[in-house]
Amino acid sequence: MRNLLFKEMKLSASVLSYIFIAFGLMFFLPGYPILCGVFFSCLGIFQSFQNAREANDLVFSALLPVSKQDVAKGKVYFSCTIELSALLLMAIVMIVRMTALADSPVYLQNALMNANPFALGMAFLLFGLFNLIFIAGFFKTSYKFAKPFVTFIIVAFAIIGIAEAAHYIPGFEALNAFGFANFPLQLGLLAAGLVCYIVLTWLALRNAAASFEKTDL
Amino acid sequence: MDIVSIRNLTKKYPGFTLDAVSFSLKAGRITGFIGRNGAGKTTTIKSMLNLIHPDCGEIDYFGLPLAGNEAHIKKRIGYSTGTISWYPRKRIRDIKDVMKRFYDTWDDAKYESYLRMFALDENKTPRELSDGMKVKCNLLFALSHNAEALILDEPTSGLDPFSRDELLELFGQIKQAGVAIFFSTHIISDIEKCADDIVYISKGRIVAAISREEFAQRYQGQDETLEEAFLRLERRTLNA
Repeated sequence: MRNLLFKEMKLSASVLSYIFIAFGLMFFLPGYPILCGVFFSCLGIFQSFQNAREANDLVFSALLPVSKQDVAKGKVYFSCTIELSALLLMAIVMIVRMTALADSPVYLQNALMNANPFALGMAFLLFGLFNLIFIAGFFKTSYKFAKPFVTFIIVAFAIIGIAEAAHYIPGFEALNAFGFANFPLQLGLLAAGLVCYIVLTWLALRNAAASFEKTDL
Repeated sequence: MDIVSIRNLTKKYPGFTLDAVSFSLKAGRITGFIGRNGAGKTTTIKSMLNLIHPDCGEIDYFGLPLAGNEAHIKKRIGYSTGTISWYPRKRIRDIKDVMKRFYDTWDDAKYESYLRMFALDENKTPRELSDGMKVKCNLLFALSHNAEALILDEPTSGLDPFSRDELLELFGQIKQAGVAIFFSTHIISDIEKCADDIVYISKGRIVAAISREEFAQRYQGQDETLEEAFLRLERRTLNA
């Protein structure tokens, strides 16, 4: 699998996949839907899939001495590498905002979602949905990516909208905690997001591998 | 010894059926796979490489079924397909650097010698190569890891007559090392020059899978060239 990951990075990946990790820094933006950073990172990964299709990457990979299922898994692992890098960046920004910038007026007046563990949990959920909707969806044909990507866009922006506005609903104010306020609840939501990411990615891995195995190239 | 054994390979498409294809490839022999366009050559080869899934049939390499031993078997075989460009914008050297990590048997000295023989510049990208040079580039990758069986889809198409001659001569040298070579072509003179065995496919069915001598005895008329024999057989199949 290490060799497949190396192949993804050296031959298939678009440089945009790496550059768009930087959208994790959007967690710094006040008054902006910070979860859009997740979408842009996913857009970077999407570019690599587009690159790979143009370069006959799937046939090349299927001819390498690996099982066909591992080829699909390699793509999921590559995507996870980009996603986890973006999540790490988001986590660092979140910690800075929760500590050094906790009392910053610009963030205290923030109308939208704060960069807190709940936000990071939602980022995990969105990346998990990208893996299941887009990657597993792409491998149903191993060729068409417009439909799975558009489906992901619709689902992602619906969830981003709900998450950004949720703290305005009476009883849900704690979702928008500053600093370490409501910390146990916030950590619980982060853990729930992480669990969703693991489950969704596992499903994506399983479905993508099974679909690609059945695909005639 | 049979290096590759294919039995009853069947794949149905709307309008075309690869029908119970069976043949075997032996160590140290060159097998020419001949048939007109659309006869089922590429479908057979793709099935042999698990790129497509036959509806039924068995494919064994080195006595092992392909299903369940895919990674192990692919390490021992080399494959090249005509003029397809892998990663058109990446340098040949970068593609090689990735490929060699997958093969414990990768031979840098062989790679360098074929690079010189094919007059390829590894700093070029596939998109900068002519069709003939793309064929050579794909062959370069297939030949550089000491494969025990080579499966080559139209390896001579697009090559100039000198390169074709050189390549067919190279096949002769490689088979001396016990490698089984299986190559598809519609250029009958290639078969005449170097094939020990002939697998002839027409309309998805194997018409003959025998040695060249036996083929000549069975199908070639007196004073008839191999090409004329194939044309006659093909016309007969079409009229049937």
